[in-house]
Amino acid sequence: MTTKIAWVVDEAKDNVANILSNDVKKDMVIPVTVKGEELQIKVSADIPYGHKVAIKPIKAGDTIIKYGLSIGRAIADIAVGEHVHIHNIEPLRGRGDLAAKEKGCVC
Amino acid sequence: MTKWYGYYRPDGQVGARNYCLILSATVYANSVVERVANTIEGAIPITHDLGRCQTVSDLKLTFDILCGLAKNPNVGAVVIIDHFREAYCNIDEMGEEIAKSGKPVYGVNIREVGGAIEATAVATRQAMYLTQELSKMKREEADISQFLLGLNCGTSDTTQGLSANPALGFCSDRIVREGGRSILAEFPELMGAEEWLTSKAVSPQIAQKIVDEIASYEQKILATGEDIRGSQPTGDNIVGGLSTIEEKSLGGAKKSGSAPIIDVISNGQPVLNKTPGVYLMNTPGHGAESITSIAAGGAQAMVFCTGGGHTIAQPIMPTIKVTGNANSWRQMKDTMDLDLSGILAGEITLEQAGDLIYNELVEVLSGKLTKCEILKERSGFGISRAGLSI
Repeated sequence: MTTKIAWVVDEAKDNVANILSNDVKKDMVIPVTVKGEELQIKVSADIPYGHKVAIKPIKAGDTIIKYGLSIGRAIADIAVGEHVHIHNIEPLRGRGDLAAKEKGCVC
Repeated sequence: MTKWYGYYRPDGQVGARNYCLILSATVYANSVVERVANTIEGAIPITHDLGRCQTVSDLKLTFDILCGLAKNPNVGAVVIIDHFREAYCNIDEMGEEIAKSGKPVYGVNIREVGGAIEATAVATRQAMYLTQELSKMKREEADISQFLLGLNCGTSDTTQGLSANPALGFCSDRIVREGGRSILAEFPELMGAEEWLTSKAVSPQIAQKIVDEIASYEQKILATGEDIRGSQPTGDNIVGGLSTIEEKSLGGAKKSGSAPIIDVISNGQPVLNKTPGVYLMNTPGHGAESITSIAAGGAQAMVFCTGGGHTIAQPIMPTIKVTGNANSWRQMKDTMDLDLSGILAGEITLEQAGDLIYNELVEVLSGKLTKCEILKERSGFGISRAGLSI
């Protein structure tokens, strides 16, 4: 195992990678290994340690996949290299606000 | 086979500590409890703001959790203090329940003995004799099958699901292979991890129980009509890179490793089943509450993964805090026990990190103090409640 700048947990399925560096800045090109192949991804924003970057093009409404499983859905189109976080994805579980809307109640 | 050394209790359980517990039955005994515990060498005070004016189901939960803590094998003797008389949370009913463990329990009613000063004197004297008896006990050999491990995490970040949590999973697997058990809790923080958890369930019935109980918790959250964002993930989780509750859950669920999940138990209930494996306990995600419930379930020690760094420690259950984040270790090492940042630096494997946790656990079980125990950091105490104050 070597130190990686970006780590994809499930290389077959995930559409995001986790940044494991304090130095990932806008316009840097970072290596991301997926299924033995090293992608070169140009990041379009400063991305803090532990945050996610898109490694596949994602459309609004698409499922965000990490650990090979859903971690929520995109609320905007997200291009490869974009910072993926609370500004462009949302959870689907425990959403009392969505449940209330479905019931049509004014909460 | 690994051995550890602990204190044998009358019911056969083995404690990693030998505490005299000074226990408030209700909020209005707290000051007397504090005075007594301040006087007695090594005594642990348990104070709280409950035990009165709660719905009956919540009163029962308070009762179960307080009695569960007192029955935890880390406790050798108990002095309970109440101020008048409540349902459930009183010296008689609690004393009767705790005495089922066979350990000595004394009760002091503040009103009956003539007020707060007299109660302090009576309880202090009782605690003195109990502490002297406890001091004569010696640690004796025990094996891992006599150990129940608590699993928890908090102030989580992205590193956790990749490093500390799966490393703890390897440690938990090793404990289970050697005949021990572990408890995973925090049900709202399992929302989204059902597929992972049910794949470990010992039977289709238990898989269904896992799904049903997580769904039942989620229903209570939905009934608030509120957006979970703002509460979960928490502010520190978001700074640490976790964007959604599902992402947090999938990382958190890695703590229980690959061992079979044997059963789902209710909040604060003892884990009576001796079958080696993982037990899920249906608690809130609130760290102080979940670790207190796990202690009430009988765990003698806990490993708490915290990518962001934490102060939390349960008063009666040694809480070993580990992090996989080098920055957090530097910032928070006064209250953290193991630096596992070597995993993400490529220096150690998850399995090797699991062994480091295991070795630390065995030492702590046999008497090594955690940093928080030395500092008397006891912020990890909370009692869950479902309903209103009435």
